[in-house]
Amino acid sequence: MSKTPNAQLSTSNLQLSGDASTSNIKNRTSNILRRIVDLIVAGVFIYAGAIKALDPVQFASDIDNYKILPWPISVALAFYLPWLEIFCGFALVVRLLYRGALSILTTLILTFTLMTIAAKVLGLDITCGCFGHASQNWSFPSHLATNLAILAALVVLSFKAASGNRPQSVV
Amino acid sequence: MFVKFSLVRQAVILAALAILPGAGEAIYFRGKISWRSAILPSESVTVDQARAWGENTIWVDARPDEEFERDHVPGAIALNEDRWNELLTQFLAVWSPGKKVVVYCSSLSCNASREVARRLRKEAQLSDVFVLEGGWEAWLKKR
Repeated sequence: MSKTPNAQLSTSNLQLSGDASTSNIKNRTSNILRRIVDLIVAGVFIYAGAIKALDPVQFASDIDNYKILPWPISVALAFYLPWLEIFCGFALVVRLLYRGALSILTTLILTFTLMTIAAKVLGLDITCGCFGHASQNWSFPSHLATNLAILAALVVLSFKAASGNRPQSVV
Repeated sequence: MFVKFSLVRQAVILAALAILPGAGEAIYFRGKISWRSAILPSESVTVDQARAWGENTIWVDARPDEEFERDHVPGAIALNEDRWNELLTQFLAVWSPGKKVVVYCSSLSCNASREVARRLRKEAQLSDVFVLEGGWEAWLKKR
């Protein structure tokens, strides 16, 4: 016995509603996961920034160890970079200036990673200073793995933000 | 009012915001760091000055073991970061209050002496710790 037009419509509505609900669950899960990554990355940078902001003298020395920049520039960066990391970390937490924060943090982590690799290639036996004293005894592979993991997370977040599936930046 | 910022604008705002606490910190730490040199003038010493202290000086060689074994300042004690814990114990056995500690590494551009001096001040809580200006090279020139 064939279904009446009303019954067909009702079945089709049920299917649509089921699809929409599955899609909603997927979206919600994806948003929660992205928010978790957001908070982890933010936490890492706030922690790293705070440690360095507490001991800028040590951080200036760590930058100077790379023998790339003149001492006054190392000092200026030692005072400035930790706060930039902290501000960008908080920007990710509160979702203000979100994309700007992602782009700065991606640039920073890329620079840190390249400098760590350059130091290894040049045979400089130095710590990266990324996490102040906490990273003093880290091996080169640990540094590289940590930096690359953070970089991957930032790239994913940036990609999601650029694709329009992101929170609105408001002031 | 809700305003949507472009990526670059957002980045510039964040970069500008970080200047303020950074500048504040620079003022707060002005006495603890020199903008001209990695070592504060009060924490460095020339070869002549250190020699004038005579017996009251403990010379600390922060270079790697093989360089220390090749040659070193007479009476110097090896204390490098490769074997920090082991060598620190040996150093503390020789150290006594009132002694001035002069740390040196290879040359003007090396960082080992600065690091060792910093750790002696911070971890061993020693106060009279100085970095030798010009390091081992300066010592050789004056020998």
